[in-house]
Amino acid sequence: MDALLLRSVQNYVLDTFGQARWHEICAAAGQPVQTFEPMLRYPSGLADRIADIAAEVLGRPVEAIWEDIGTYLVTNPDREGVRRLLRFGGVSFSDFLHSLEELPGRARLALPDLDPPEILLTEVGPDRYELRCRSPLKGMQRVLTGMLTAMADDYGALCLIEPGAEDCILITVLDSRYAEARAFELARPDP
Amino acid sequence: MLSAAPTGPGLELDGATLARFMPMHLLTDAEGRALSFGPTLARVLHGAAVPGARFEDLFEVRAPGGAVSVAEVLERMPNRFRLVLRHGARVGLRGLGQPLPGAGRILLNLTFVDLITAAREYGLTDADFAATELATEVLFLAEANAAVTRELKGLTLRLEGARIAAEEEAMTDPLTGLRNRRAVDLVLDRLCAAQSKFGLMHMDLDYFKAVNDSLGHAAGDFVLENVGRILREQLRIEDCAARIGGDEFVLIVTGRSEPATLMAIANRIIARVGEPMLFDGREVRVSASIGIVRSVNCPTVEAAQLFTEADRALYAAKHAGRGRAVLAD
Repeated sequence: MDALLLRSVQNYVLDTFGQARWHEICAAAGQPVQTFEPMLRYPSGLADRIADIAAEVLGRPVEAIWEDIGTYLVTNPDREGVRRLLRFGGVSFSDFLHSLEELPGRARLALPDLDPPEILLTEVGPDRYELRCRSPLKGMQRVLTGMLTAMADDYGALCLIEPGAEDCILITVLDSRYAEARAFELARPDP
Repeated sequence: MLSAAPTGPGLELDGATLARFMPMHLLTDAEGRALSFGPTLARVLHGAAVPGARFEDLFEVRAPGGAVSVAEVLERMPNRFRLVLRHGARVGLRGLGQPLPGAGRILLNLTFVDLITAAREYGLTDADFAATELATEVLFLAEANAAVTRELKGLTLRLEGARIAAEEEAMTDPLTGLRNRRAVDLVLDRLCAAQSKFGLMHMDLDYFKAVNDSLGHAAGDFVLENVGRILREQLRIEDCAARIGGDEFVLIVTGRSEPATLMAIANRIIARVGEPMLFDGREVRVSASIGIVRSVNCPTVEAAQLFTEADRALYAAKHAGRGRAVLAD
């Protein structure tokens, strides 16, 4: 997971703040190589360390950066793949929420040595959910929060999504058909 | 209402339930005339999905071979037959079917053989499949795998680029951008093995030590960079110019072995190197001595021997008063 998140941090910083800031972050981290490969292995904890340094260099709280990265992964048109893979989760936003528990298993089907976070969804009331996300990565909960926010938009659902205590995310669906959902066809538009 | 109760409790299904559980079903009468279509099958068949349409007009049977009517299909392969649509895209379908008790109706349930193509062809969404079908899982996997493969391809390309850059770096003299000793050895080995014709020049700068001592290393580096530029300009892309030591250079001129040509090249380089250079507003002068050996001179073309000969010629040039080229014979 570190590799995927490191690459995400890299893409997010490069696309949002430009090359100079990314060089600055890598230099501050003492990283000789400035490209993280999503398919290689990196020491665990490196992603959190780089994000902490990025927070310092960019002058923003690391939580906000992780959340932005989560949103960026879903909404960036160049990385449409993530949004599409998540949309396979279900027809509606609540379907999608329920599918999150299956997501780590699905992800392992494609990448057997991936170490995805453990996800547990509890329905605590009508349209109210508690999502627990267990991962050795400190940033994971915030990344997931950002992703959920973006996916709610994608499904056209109006939601309140906020980080709760520890690894918990609280989700309240206020209106599941607040806006038109973005189109989703099962086959990729271009082969 | 459909009723099917061979054993166990009687079961009655209405059309809507059937459509929900089997969105790709076809219900026909005993003659194979359509009574109802599942919504996804109706989409796939476009305008052809009308009540009364005949099975054999809608589908071409691929297996069992030779079968045409639905009765023939069910008689031979009721559990796994294959069809191709007659209308629109020739999408393959696999199915199973069974006559229902009672009025002699026949129920077929179909599925796509190539789900990915079908999903693209018809723009299928989750709503086109029953929740229990694994269609979405298959498509998810196909897409996730494609993404992983894309990443791996990208990684391979990036690694290849890095490897080439590293190799280039390992063969380059960082100060002048010329080749280094390692590169010269590789080029020479290759040329010798191929028994090619070429000229080898060993060049040494005259008065370089004096520049270094009087004006400092920065001035020395400046001179070396300048000489590097001159050599790049004077040689062709297929030649090789390398710095192999402090102020020592090796030039390999490929495909040339006429003494006059090689002397002309050497003299041109000597003339250019001898021109005054300006460093920090001060004039700096060096000159170059060159020893030349031709591959055709040596009975057996061998790198070490060529170097020895070129060295000897270089010393002769130095001895003869510097700033000149000597050709070994």
